[in-house]
Amino acid sequence: MDERKEQDQGAGRDGDCEAQGVPGAGPSAGNARRRLLLGGGLAAASAVVSIRPALANTAASVLNCQIPVPDPAKGMGQMIAPDGKLVPKGTKGAFPASSKPFTGEEVKAALRGGRSLPGTSYEQNRAYLNYIRRLQNGTSGFTCYASLQMPR
Amino acid sequence: MRHHLLLAIGPARFRIGSAWRGPIDALRRLYAAYPQSSQDDAVADFTVRLEPAGIGRRWWRPSVRIAGDHHLPDAVPMALRHGLLAAEMGMNLQMALGWRRHLLIHASSVEKDGKVLVMAGESGSGKSTLAALLGERGWRLMGDEFALLDFATGAIHPFPRLVSLKNQAIDVMRREVDDAARFGPLMAATPKGDIAHLIPAAEAVSRMSEAAPPALLLFPRYGHAPDIRAVGEGEAFMHLTQASTNYVACGEAAFTALHRFVTTVPSIALDFSSGDEADRMIGRLWREYAG
Amino acid sequence: MTQAERLYYRDDPDEMLLRPLDGLTLIYHRPSGITHIVDSPVPEILAALSHEPLPARLLLESLSADYDLEGEGEALDNLAAHLEELCALGLARAR
Repeated sequence: MDERKEQDQGAGRDGDCEAQGVPGAGPSAGNARRRLLLGGGLAAASAVVSIRPALANTAASVLNCQIPVPDPAKGMGQMIAPDGKLVPKGTKGAFPASSKPFTGEEVKAALRGGRSLPGTSYEQNRAYLNYIRRLQNGTSGFTCYASLQMPR
Repeated sequence: MRHHLLLAIGPARFRIGSAWRGPIDALRRLYAAYPQSSQDDAVADFTVRLEPAGIGRRWWRPSVRIAGDHHLPDAVPMALRHGLLAAEMGMNLQMALGWRRHLLIHASSVEKDGKVLVMAGESGSGKSTLAALLGERGWRLMGDEFALLDFATGAIHPFPRLVSLKNQAIDVMRREVDDAARFGPLMAATPKGDIAHLIPAAEAVSRMSEAAPPALLLFPRYGHAPDIRAVGEGEAFMHLTQASTNYVACGEAAFTALHRFVTTVPSIALDFSSGDEADRMIGRLWREYAG
Repeated sequence: MTQAERLYYRDDPDEMLLRPLDGLTLIYHRPSGITHIVDSPVPEILAALSHEPLPARLLLESLSADYDLEGEGEALDNLAAHLEELCALGLARAR
């Protein structure tokens, strides 16, 4: 569960705000005008949090899913570079494809930092996780990964 | 398909088809008290199909692929001995991806005195086991997996499926429920651990069309020292958008319904280390917020 | 400077549904179906925008008429940054 501090800050609300209105929008009546902090820069970015459509949000938690590394349809004969990209066989420093897919649970545990993916060394685990983080819609394992609800 | 069954659960109707008889027989026995629709007049909301996962897999090392109106790629086929679990997961999947008539929240819900306690959380939070426990201790179980929020009225609608008990929760409920016939078969070592299903109490089934307004929202966390904390409306709203499978798909109706929910229903985080402890804490909270 | 020439406006006030929550504002943006949770000064800036395309400096004047912006040394730059972010999100438009 994310801790989002900005949500819990109570900015002052105008007493005469309608339920449908915007809190604090509109100047207060009387002599003192309400202070408005424009901030800007980083403050501008943190003033808006958007609810993005999370693909299969929690839906796949009801299903047991798996992520092959790499997608057999796309990665035939290729290896995984340390940054997760697919590279030709024989590339120095790259790791071979995993012999079996990983389950959603295994990937979630590895992403959390607790356990490496089963059967992998430290560097291999990192390369595989980088591959998984790069998954796009249409690649095998993408919906599984998206459903793990890991914070971006 | 070779074998099939029509199930009515809360407002939803499922047609379960299966290449094998076993899972259908198990479902028929466990859902025996539920309304049985005649094959002729029933219109199913969703179809769930248990299919052989590959050529020959109906007989040799039988392996079940869950299919239906809605599906997700990347799903792992399951062993036939876990077919009942596959059917239940298939129904969850159809609801999660396809239901639009209510806002679906990954939460359990129980009713008392005409008001509903909603418990939201991930797997392992204890929401399902707590709901099952309360359902045996004077509350009416409305659902252990999904809470259905009515867009127009803000009420919670029952969706009382078989309660899915995992690992230690199975023992907890076996101690709580005398009648062994209310339990489905033990499925050991499934992808989700050991699983057994519990048939909801008779009242939960017979009153499955009775909605009620929510009075308290809990975020339970099992396995921590007992603690109660108020949760802000903004935080509750964020959590629930993540806990809803169809918030975005339902658009404006979901927005206004969820806003109304968090601004009218108090939210509490509840940490607990045993069911009895949680029962006591919930009793106190209920008197305070819903009394 | 190109930035000073950019004119900001809102298409249609009905395209947004606003609700207060916990001292913040929820915005349901109908055209995109996306829900945003925003904090001051975003609601105030949105309220200052209208059909009429205006440069940031005029919007700033309008805001100073209604609010105390004292001590805001880089007020114009900050406002422009907010406006650009709102455009990127589709909650405001610019040309």
